Order: sequence, then structure tokens, then C-alpha cells
Amino acid sequence: MELTTTVTVDEENSVARVALKGALNTDTAPGFEKRMQEVMKGGHQLTVLDMKDLDYISSAGLRVIFKAAKEANAAGLRMAAANRKPHIDKVFEILKALPDMAVFANEQELDDYLDAMQEAARE
Amino acid sequence: MNRGRSITTRLIALLTLCAAVIIGVGMLVDFHLSRKALLASLQRESDETIRSVIVDMEQWLEGVKSSTLLLARVIQQREYSESGLEQILRDSVEVNPDILGAAIALAPDQTSTELGFAPYYFRKGGQLHYNSLAGSEHNYQQQAWFLDAVSAGGPLWVEPYYDAAGAEVLMTTYAVPVYREDPAGRRFLYAVVTADVALAELHDNLQRLGLGRSGFGILLSRSGVILSGRNPANIMRHYSDKFSSEQDLATWQGMFDAALQGQVVSQQLSCIDGPGQCVMRLGSLQSTGWPVGVMYSEDEMTAPLRKFQLKTGLIGFFTLLLMAAAVIIVTRRLTRPLSALALASDRIAQGDLEAPLPVASGNDEVARLIQSFAAMKRDLKSYIADLEAATARRSRLEGELSAARDIQMAMLPPGGDAVMPDENCQLWARVLPARSVGGDLYYYQRRGRVLFIAVGDVSDKGVPAALFMARAISLIQQLAVTADNPGVAMATLNDALASGNDNCMFVTLFLGVLNLDSLELQYGSAGHTAPSLLRGGAINSLVQAQGPAMGLASKLSFPVNSLQLQPGDRLAVFTDGVDEAFNQEVEMFGLGRCNETLLASRTLPPAIAGADLFERLATFAGSRPQSDDIGLVLLDIAGNGETPLKAGGEFSRGPGLTSRVEKWLHEELAPLALPDEVLGELSLVVEEIVSNVDKYAGLHKDASIALSAQANKREVEIEIRDAGLAFNPLEEAQRANLGAPIENAEIGGMGVHLITALTDRQSYRRGDGCNILRITKLLIKQPD
Repeated sequence: MELTTTVTVDEENSVARVALKGALNTDTAPGFEKRMQEVMKGGHQLTVLDMKDLDYISSAGLRVIFKAAKEANAAGLRMAAANRKPHIDKVFEILKALPDMAVFANEQELDDYLDAMQEAARE
Repeated sequence: MNRGRSITTRLIALLTLCAAVIIGVGMLVDFHLSRKALLASLQRESDETIRSVIVDMEQWLEGVKSSTLLLARVIQQREYSESGLEQILRDSVEVNPDILGAAIALAPDQTSTELGFAPYYFRKGGQLHYNSLAGSEHNYQQQAWFLDAVSAGGPLWVEPYYDAAGAEVLMTTYAVPVYREDPAGRRFLYAVVTADVALAELHDNLQRLGLGRSGFGILLSRSGVILSGRNPANIMRHYSDKFSSEQDLATWQGMFDAALQGQVVSQQLSCIDGPGQCVMRLGSLQSTGWPVGVMYSEDEMTAPLRKFQLKTGLIGFFTLLLMAAAVIIVTRRLTRPLSALALASDRIAQGDLEAPLPVASGNDEVARLIQSFAAMKRDLKSYIADLEAATARRSRLEGELSAARDIQMAMLPPGGDAVMPDENCQLWARVLPARSVGGDLYYYQRRGRVLFIAVGDVSDKGVPAALFMARAISLIQQLAVTADNPGVAMATLNDALASGNDNCMFVTLFLGVLNLDSLELQYGSAGHTAPSLLRGGAINSLVQAQGPAMGLASKLSFPVNSLQLQPGDRLAVFTDGVDEAFNQEVEMFGLGRCNETLLASRTLPPAIAGADLFERLATFAGSRPQSDDIGLVLLDIAGNGETPLKAGGEFSRGPGLTSRVEKWLHEELAPLALPDEVLGELSLVVEEIVSNVDKYAGLHKDASIALSAQANKREVEIEIRDAGLAFNPLEEAQRANLGAPIENAEIGGMGVHLITALTDRQSYRRGDGCNILRITKLLIKQPD
């Protein structure tokens, strides 16, 4: 199964949204890692991984996500995961290795978070 | 070889040391005794010399004294004219050569001559001379000898003086006053008679006392004037002039006084002329009372001793040198064969049995040692030759046995490890002999819709059992073609086996005939262990009517049992090598463990379940050798309309490996119509395993990874097989520490968590040079 990555950037709020579709496995992980590195170069305050259409993730894929999250934290940036499917969630739980990243169950939670962030920026 | 510690060196050192000590002690004792003897002889010699000189001198002086006293006596008693006195005086001097000169000095009132009368005869230049001592120039009445003799009133030796009136030499004089009596009986001095002795002669006489180069005699007058000594210049001088040291002077004074009183004394004091210590012995002459003695250097006296000492030392040293040389030669000679033997034994130890040994001569310990070595070498050679022959025989036998094993395995349908698939049933069988060859057997044959199955166990094991087994299986193969009734077949087989079986070999046998349509199994048991039946999640040993073991007697009958098999059943027929396997504690495996194992693997395909039981038996036995042949046949009856899913695939390494695997898995499992979640989890687990194998198993780039899947409605089992480095991920993998930073996780450490979390059973084994990892996911969760 292939992985399709769609990146949309909201420059105003400094938010990059990475939508994952398909399978993030050993085969697709290297490509995804390159893609993430490009996205990280943008230096956005928040990078959201939208897993709404992600059907499958393996430890190789998790490794890429964790690595990106760690780099983001080191740079003082934030990373978040949104819309994880139950079986994706299960993999995260089994490995009990949730990196320091925000997790949003659905679009609403994400929007609320973004709003809160914008308000904080205005103050 | 360490020369510093060799026997040779130690022997040489020890023997030389012993010789040195012995020679040294001997020389010391010898030296001590010789010194004592030498000193004693020196003492004796000097004493004798002194005595003889003194005796000579005493005799001489006594002679002078007695002749003078005789002359005085003659004059006292006879009246001579003055010329008569002269004549008698001349005769007296002439006949007595010891006397230097003599005088008769009349008292002044006994002569008519105004100046007195004193004729004097003396020797000078070998001639006898005359002189008159009566004269103004040498008036004898004023001379010490005259006055001393008169005042003493008796004979005396006058202190030495220089005689100017006659011989003009240093002399001493023996003076005897002659008294007569007048008619009235009054005593008056008539004359003084004298005899002179030259000091030079005394000196000559005394110096015969020379002891050694620096020894000399010494003679003193009563007043201490030196009459004779080493240096003639000292004559007439007082001895006290000679000493500068107070201490020496005091010593001399003491000795001198003691000698005057007639004692003989010895003292050590520093030599007068020259360095070193000298010994002084001082006594006195009886006739004159003069102290006389001898002085000699002790060093000089003991010089011969020192010479002797040096000589002995040198002799000792050279003796020691010769001794050491002799010791070296002898030791080398003795130990040379030993060194050669040591070298030879080194070579023998390295396997060179042709190493020459030193020649053994004589019959000493070394020769015997060499002979023993030679014998050992000989024995070793023949032993090695024997061993080589035995090894050759053994490897030939092993080769034969290995060929026999191949032949025996070929007798079992496909080579002792069989799988017979059929739409209604599946059969799996395996025999594992305890030795190269064995007596367990199985046979199956399908004739139309009839399946003939035989499982047997020949008594004993090894070659005899194998031969009997060969016979049995040939007969069974013949029977299988026609047999419908197990009882009849078994009776026929028994009769055939019993004929000509003088060794009383026998075989226990399970013989079954299965109708593949009705699933009815008719079977007979000739003393064979009852089979186990797995049905509906339970296992039971069949209750069977059984006949005797085959081959012992003919014309026997065997009861037939009938069993209706059902779909999903599994029948396990095995030999007693299974339940009677022993472990190191001599504990039996037992039917209980056997059934447990079979029950645990009931959902696995028969090949895997069978292999599991064999593995379990091997683990149980541990290092204990397999005690009996093991045979197992598993017969699976297919479930109701359910055909077990079986699939296999080989995946070459390279790009898209996990995608290809995932695609295969999805396609193969599609008939099961698994929920997406289950399929996703299976895909994930398989991907984790395959990607880990791909990355870390060290496979060649052209190698491939084999996957097989088996599934039914209850479970899915997937086996992943790779020929990589032996590695059990379930035990050896360093699991990632959950919750810790991911980059710290060990290689593949996260995947193991996923594998164990997402599947229900995992097993690993290493077989056929492959890592075989098997995971099972239950489709119907059993309540715990």
C-alpha cells in the first residue's frame, strides 16, 4: 500500500498540516521522513499530522514521527497528531512511546487548539 | 632448556662446593697440626742450641777458672824464686790456649823490687809475649782487677776493661788472691793470680747462638755492660743506653734482675734491630753469674711455617681446580644422555615417533630410563597403528550403517517423513531411530477410497531390529495390496513373521483400514500402544481390544476394533519410544505429557504438531541419548466443509519487500474474510518481522524469506523462515524500553513489542539452518 502525503500551510498562523493517506510502513517510511524534513524546514510553530486517512502504521513509521517530534521540540516548535484511527491508536499505546506532542481526537479539538493558540499570540 | 637450573650445573656447583669444603677443612686441620709440631720443634731446637752454647762457654770459663785456681794453689804452697814464678806462669799460659794472658802480681810487701813484681804473659798475633806490669805506667797495684780481688778476699771475675798493657783488646779477668800464713798463723796476702779472657772470643763463642737471620746471642756483665751482642759496636756499653722506650727498658730491667738471681725468663718485646716482635730468653752463666741469653724474631722463626702454609694453600687450590674439572667432566658424561633424552622426548611429544633416542650403554639408571623410553616409543607406535586401524574399521562400519539407514528410511514411504494430503484427510508420519538404524516402522497406502495404515515397533533396537523391521515392512507392503480386514491381515502377517524366527524377534503393530467416505476405521492392535484421539478440544487414548505381539507364535488371532471418525478428528498413532522416552533424571515422558503436547498443538497442521512433539521429546531428553526409536503417525480428518487454508510464498529481498509481503498476505487471507482490524494487525506483525529479518539477519542480497500461512476459522498461523544468523527475537532481542526516547531503542526492539502484543502465540526454533518464527492469532477469542 502506498502513502500519500498532502501538506497545507497556514502561513498566517504558522501551522503546517500534513495529511497522511494509506500506509506508513517500512517501505514508505523513508519517503515520509524526507517529506517531514522538508516540512520542518519551514519552521512553523505547529505541525499537525492528520491521520484521518492513515490506515496502517508500523514501528518504522513511528520512528520517523518520533524523530520529527523530538526535532520540533528541540527547535522550540510543536507537533501534534490528529484523528487517529483506533487501530493506529492501539499501536501507539502498545509501544507506550507517545512523544511530547499534542493529540487531537478530531477536527474540533484541533480547531479549538488553534484558536487558543491564536488568542495567546494576540495577547 | 634452562641451563642455570639444569642438573648438570647443579651437580657441578654442589660437588665443587663439597670438595672445596672438604679440602679446606683438611688443610686447616693439617695446617694447625703442622704449625704445632713446627713450633714445638723450633722451641726444642733453640733450647738445645742455647744449652749447648752455654755448656761450651761454661766449660771454657770453668777451664780458665780451674787452671788459674791451680796456679794460685801452687804458688800458695811452694816457694818460688822470681824467675821461677815467671817460668811457671809462662808454662801455664802456653799449655792453656783458652787463656789470653795471665799474670802473677805479688803483694807490694812480698818483693824487694820497689815497684813490685808482676810478670804478665799474653798472646798476640799467635806469639807469646812478656810484659811486666810493675811500672809507673801500668802500676798493677792501682788496677781494678788487683784492688777488686784484694778487697773481695776471694776469686772473682773482674768487670770487662780495655787492656792497654798487653794484648790491647777488650777483656775480662779472673783474679784469685793468694794468701799465706806466717809462722804465727797470721794470714797475709802473698799475690794475686789472674787469667784473661778476650771478650772477642766470648763474643765469637756466643754468636754461635745465631737463630735465624736476625737472631743473636747476648752476654752481659753483672753490672749490665754488654759483653757480646749483635752489633760489636755495642760491646762495653751499658744495656740501658740501647733503649729509648721506657716500657722496653722496664722489661729489660726486670729480666736482667731475674737473670742475676739465677732464673731463666722469656719475654716478647719489639725487636732491637728491625721491625716486628722478638722473643728474648735470658738466663745466667753459673761460673760467672753473667746474664746470658738469646734474642730472635718470631716472624723469622715461623717463616718456614708460613711458607708451608702458602704451599699447602696452593696445593689445595690446584687440587680444587682439578677436582672441579673432574666433576664437570664426569657430570657432563653422566647427564649427556639425559639431555639427549629430554630433546628426544620433546620430539616424541610433538608426534615425531621416529626421533632417535640416545644410545644406552651399560645398565645404569639412565640406560634403563632410555630402554623404558624406547619401549614406550615402540608401544606408542603400535598403539597408534592399532588406533588408526580401529578408526578405519569404525568409519567403515559407520559408513555401512549410514548406508543401511538410508536404505531403511527408503523402505518407509517417502523417506521416513511423510505427508499425504487428501480432500477428506491428511496424514503425516515420521520415524526417528535411536541409533543409525532402528525397528520402528509405518506404512500407508490408498486403494481407491480405502486407506491402509500400519505403525509398528520391532523389539530391541539397532541392526537386529532393523533387519526384522525390513522383513516386517516387506510383508506389510504385500498385505496392503489386498487387506480389507485388519484381523485377517494381521493373522497372515503373524504366521509369516513367526516362521523361521528362531531369535524370537517380535513386532507390536497397529494396523488400520479407513474408509475415506464413511470415515470408519477398522483396526487391530498386536500389543501396540493405544492411539490417542483428539476430538472437540479433548484427547483420549482409545480403548482397544488387542492381540499378542507378532512373530512369537503362529496361528494366532487378532481382534478387530472399529472406530467411527468424525470431521475435525485427529488420530495419533505412535510407538512406545514416545511415551517411554527418558530424561536425565531417568523420568519417563509418559502418556500424559504426550497427550498434553498433542492437545496443545491440536489446531496446528499435522506436520507442525508432529514436529512439535519430536522437538518436545528432544528437549525433554536433554543430553541423555535417545533411549528408543520413535515413530509417530498423525491422521487428520478434514472438518465439516471446512478446508484448512494453506499458503506459502518466497520473497526475495529488495525494494518493496514489505509491500509485496502485505499484498500476498491480504490475497491469501481474503477467503477468511477477516475483519480489517485483524488483517491490519497481522500485516503489521508480519511487516515488523520481515523488515527486521531483512535488515539484521545478515542475509545475502539474493536470498529470500519464506512465508507460509495456515488458517481455519479458529486461528491464523504464519511461519517466517530465513537462513540468516541464528537469532531468537522472542528471547534475545533487547526490547525497547517503553516510554523511553525512541532513538535509544535497540534494533528491532519496538517491533518485538508489537509482535507479542498483537498475536496470541509465538514460537521460535532453529532448524535446517533456518530461523523459524511462528506466530498464531486466534480468530475466536477463548474466554480465559
